[in-house]
Amino acid sequence: MTDLADRALPRIARERSASLQFLIRLFREKPLGAAGAVIFILFLFCGVFAGLLAPFGVNEISPINRLRPPSAAFPLGTDFLGRDMLSRLLYGARLSVIIGFCAAGLSIIVSVVIGIVSGYLGGRTDMITQRFVDAWQSFPALVILIVAVAVLGPGMPQIIGVLALLFGIAGSRIIRGAVVSVREHMYVHAAQSIGAGTAWIVWRHILPNVVPLVIVLFTSRVGAVILAEAALSFLGFGVPPPAPTWGGMLSGSARTYMYQAPWLALAPGLCLTIVVYAVNVFGDALRDLLDPRMRGSR
Amino acid sequence: MTNAATKPSTNDRATRVPSKTRMLVGTFVLALATSAGAAVAQGPKPQYGGTLEVITLYPTLTALSWDPADWVWKNNHDTGSYYEQLFSGDLDKSVRKGGKYKFFFDGWLPSAAIRGELAERWEWKEKPLRVVVTLRKGIMFPDKPGVMKSRELTAEDVAFSWARVDKSPKKIAGYYDFVEKVEARDKYTVVFTFKEYNAEWDYRYGWGYYSAVVPKEIANVDSRDWRNGVGTGPFQIAEFVPGNSQTYAKNPIYWDKEKLDGVAYQLPFVDKIIYRTVKDEATQLAALRTGKVDMLELIRWNNVDEMKKSAPQLKWSRYLANAGQFLVMRTDQKPFDDIRVRRALNLAVNKQEIVQSYYGGNAELFAYPMHPDFVGYYEPLEKMPASVQELFTYNPEKAKKLLAEAGYPNGFTFKVQFTTANFDHVDLLPLVAGYLEKVGVKMEIEPMEYSVFLAAMTKKTHAAGYFMLLGHTNPTTVIRKSFVSGEMWNPSMWADAAFDKKMADVFHTRDEAKRQKLIREMSVEVLEKAPHLWLPTPYVYAAWWPWVQNYNGELRAGAVRPGPIYARLWVDQEMKKKMGY
Amino acid sequence: MQAYIIRRLLALIPTLIFASLIVFVTVRLIPGSIIDLMMTQNVSATEKDRATLEAALGLDRPMYIQYFRWAGNVLRGDLGESLWQGTPVAHEIFARLPITLELALLALVVSIAVAIPIGVYSAIRQDTAGDYSTRSISILMLAIPSFWLGTLVMVFPSIWWGWSPQIKFVPFLQDPLQNLNQMFLPAIILGTSLAAITMRVTRTTMLEVLRQDYIRTAWAKGLDERVVVLRHALRNALIPVVTLIGVEIAAVVSVAIVLEQIFVIPGIGLLLIDAVSQRDYPIITGIFLVVGVCVLLINLLIDLSYGLIDPRVRYR
Repeated sequence: MTDLADRALPRIARERSASLQFLIRLFREKPLGAAGAVIFILFLFCGVFAGLLAPFGVNEISPINRLRPPSAAFPLGTDFLGRDMLSRLLYGARLSVIIGFCAAGLSIIVSVVIGIVSGYLGGRTDMITQRFVDAWQSFPALVILIVAVAVLGPGMPQIIGVLALLFGIAGSRIIRGAVVSVREHMYVHAAQSIGAGTAWIVWRHILPNVVPLVIVLFTSRVGAVILAEAALSFLGFGVPPPAPTWGGMLSGSARTYMYQAPWLALAPGLCLTIVVYAVNVFGDALRDLLDPRMRGSR
Repeated sequence: MTNAATKPSTNDRATRVPSKTRMLVGTFVLALATSAGAAVAQGPKPQYGGTLEVITLYPTLTALSWDPADWVWKNNHDTGSYYEQLFSGDLDKSVRKGGKYKFFFDGWLPSAAIRGELAERWEWKEKPLRVVVTLRKGIMFPDKPGVMKSRELTAEDVAFSWARVDKSPKKIAGYYDFVEKVEARDKYTVVFTFKEYNAEWDYRYGWGYYSAVVPKEIANVDSRDWRNGVGTGPFQIAEFVPGNSQTYAKNPIYWDKEKLDGVAYQLPFVDKIIYRTVKDEATQLAALRTGKVDMLELIRWNNVDEMKKSAPQLKWSRYLANAGQFLVMRTDQKPFDDIRVRRALNLAVNKQEIVQSYYGGNAELFAYPMHPDFVGYYEPLEKMPASVQELFTYNPEKAKKLLAEAGYPNGFTFKVQFTTANFDHVDLLPLVAGYLEKVGVKMEIEPMEYSVFLAAMTKKTHAAGYFMLLGHTNPTTVIRKSFVSGEMWNPSMWADAAFDKKMADVFHTRDEAKRQKLIREMSVEVLEKAPHLWLPTPYVYAAWWPWVQNYNGELRAGAVRPGPIYARLWVDQEMKKKMGY
Repeated sequence: MQAYIIRRLLALIPTLIFASLIVFVTVRLIPGSIIDLMMTQNVSATEKDRATLEAALGLDRPMYIQYFRWAGNVLRGDLGESLWQGTPVAHEIFARLPITLELALLALVVSIAVAIPIGVYSAIRQDTAGDYSTRSISILMLAIPSFWLGTLVMVFPSIWWGWSPQIKFVPFLQDPLQNLNQMFLPAIILGTSLAAITMRVTRTTMLEVLRQDYIRTAWAKGLDERVVVLRHALRNALIPVVTLIGVEIAAVVSVAIVLEQIFVIPGIGLLLIDAVSQRDYPIITGIFLVVGVCVLLINLLIDLSYGLIDPRVRYR
């Protein structure tokens, strides 16, 4: 990405062909990762079009139909209030994916900002920032979440915000490490010596070098965030009912009826597992492909 | 009960469980009633020895305090098998022994179900109004190294215990205002002198939450440390693992006996009782199912079918929760300041259907504010005036009409707060919201962590709708705490000076029959004015293995105090072994 | 090296002051105070009792005075007393911290035992079916929520075989077997979920190391695969893995909260969640402080251990 040689090419064309090539490499060299990407996109699609795909409303209650096993009318069965599980899962995909995407995306921004400020500026700024990061990291994440949810009240924006901060600060170390190593490169020194501004150097030289790392970090975060929301739901601090997050569907009455009505826990459990699995293998594949040190390794 | 007029009434604390547990068990407070079986035939001979492992009614709550002067409600549950009180439930009158009392209520003992525990007898004297309590002779405190040598209980201990609670910096203001003084007149006589009569006198200090009798020697040690606890009860505290267990060991010099088939047996039967604190419901059930515990006192109705299948030998009792549930409407705010709106909401919810399809029949349509077990105070729905009966029928048409009359032809939207700590409400609230939506009334649901939820009520900053579970406690308290103006547990903000005055009269009335009449009238009044959207009260179950004997599901023989019950049951260890556990 | 350790230890001080201040203030800002709880647990209480209770608990002073008093006591080694039980906070914490540490340690052992062999294997056999399947399994373990797995192993064996894990806690030193009887399931669940991350880091670093010139030289010399991998490659690949384990310690406490609840283990996680819901401020603050110090010290030890694994590392 810092290759100056092909600057002559029209930028758009270059990028398009590069990403196309990248896709081809992904499918050819990393079929598992590619499958992960496809699965994830599929879930994304389901979430976005949940309104069209779902046979029933998300909170359509029908006490007569409660705890029905999977059947033609209810392909995944019904829950304790007679709500259609398939419909709830589809809407749940939307919520879980929104939470995963937003929180992971925000967390990356936090990581990059802290990582670059701390890593590029160095010195006292770095020292102080790192002590802050140390302190933050010494607290168990779930505990911070619980206290934060208690202070802010339960709700999706709060949970996204807190998860983003949590993972963002934790991830800043990794970005900082990369920034520190890039900072010492010859071309950065060169840019500094010709009087380039800090912002310009960061934008032109530092940032492009951490992009692969950012992408990998992002994919692993998506899964982690979805799981964290599930754990919070279990503890009663998740996105409040009746919102159909997968984590919420897994706790509560799904646990009560785990034996009598296993479909209650099975379907959301499988979805959760598959999505987290998919983003993780996709992330692994991306890392293998993008990490410059690994380029050409195989 | 010598004294008639006096009895009881009881009450107070109610409901709630403190904090902890936000999670779990939402059913806090439960309680209740009914047990089925009639007197159990006297069967096998009593056996001594063995250990009883119990997950009690407060399965998720570790002990919050070991010092009765801390004014912590759960203290009685945790210290109630070693600290005794002046009075307790008379278990000889339990259903198990052919009587009519079920002993499951958290803060209520009917007058006729009370016996003297430390007290041998008591009588009322006038001018000044006082109760003279004569203690049983020969009740001993056991040896407790570092605290005290074994010695006999005296009236001084009783007066001392009273003073400790009364002078505690954590004392609730006004709770003992009716008492002038408490004195030990001689070694076995204590005199309680009253400023005025209080219908709850025995509940407040006699068999209530803060009535434990401790030895005077406790003053010389750290009373908050469980290791220093020593009392005259059937067990003594032996070990406490916070968050996991509380172990009580047999007191070999306990004074009381159990009469069975004419033979008096020295109590207690078992060597040890262990209370297990288990937060997770699935774990509680697994532990009972596999015989890791002998009894589980709190099982939600939805788990019962599966348990009966996977552990068919369990014995069961069913209780009507001693907490009502409802959607409270703030009567000091629009639109709920209009009785037509409040009644309309009641009519819009199909309560019968909730009982049938949501609870699968495991609930009672009508059990609040008076619990069916408040005999003399409770009147069934059929005896209620039509204006009350109507509120328990489903009539969306009339609901719409009332809403239109009140100026809401298209309905309205209001905010409802509830706590996710209550599992059932997480499901029940959307159900209620579904019914209301059909008459155009929409809810904006705001879930809250348990303590935050409570704080909103104490500070009166709660929303127009407040979905809650609230303990019955006892017939006087249930009305006083929720419908007297300015009370903390009055989320509907009910304020009616005439009603307040009537309540004060109830407390001063010595004749229980008169009190019952007043309370019945007051119940009808609040029911028909509908400050709450009344909802069904669920049943709760308790289960135990058949090797637990001389037991039939009794839960409390005083305010949240199971100690005397555990002292009387025994464990058939051979049967347990034979059954493979 | 000594200077390095001293510098690191000194750096702990501002970190801890800063962290404790934040925690101290935050927990008191949580809506629904301990006073509200104490009042509501008695149905006869009224607003009048608020002031009495605040005074009884010492919560009526301005917050900064409370903080300085608390900080002063901490410096003298006194973490205060539980507001409910009146027991010393330090006593509560040190009775329960070892239990969680034991769980964490067992889980780490499980995770290392699973992760390193798989990580090494899938690096050597990169992009083969073996690589894919072992990695898939370990990622799956990560993707299954531990509360769900915990419930599963609690419910199904009890119905099918009448077996459930022990719920009576016995300290390891008192009876190791009984203790492990309770601990092994949560340790496996926790360990396998940690293993996924460790495995991936092992694999990545192994891949990198395997491409280094000295490894190529070793191969070229015709050395046995086992020797190359174990003696030359793995040793060098371990540093990031060890770092990660440090990070995981704090994460373990999080997951422990969930597992301790299901498996009735009276560890620090359970204490904390109780303290939060009971608003027992001194306990919450104490746990943050003690766990924070532990995590920071463990990280220090880990930094120092680099020197043992890789003699080229020098401390500056």
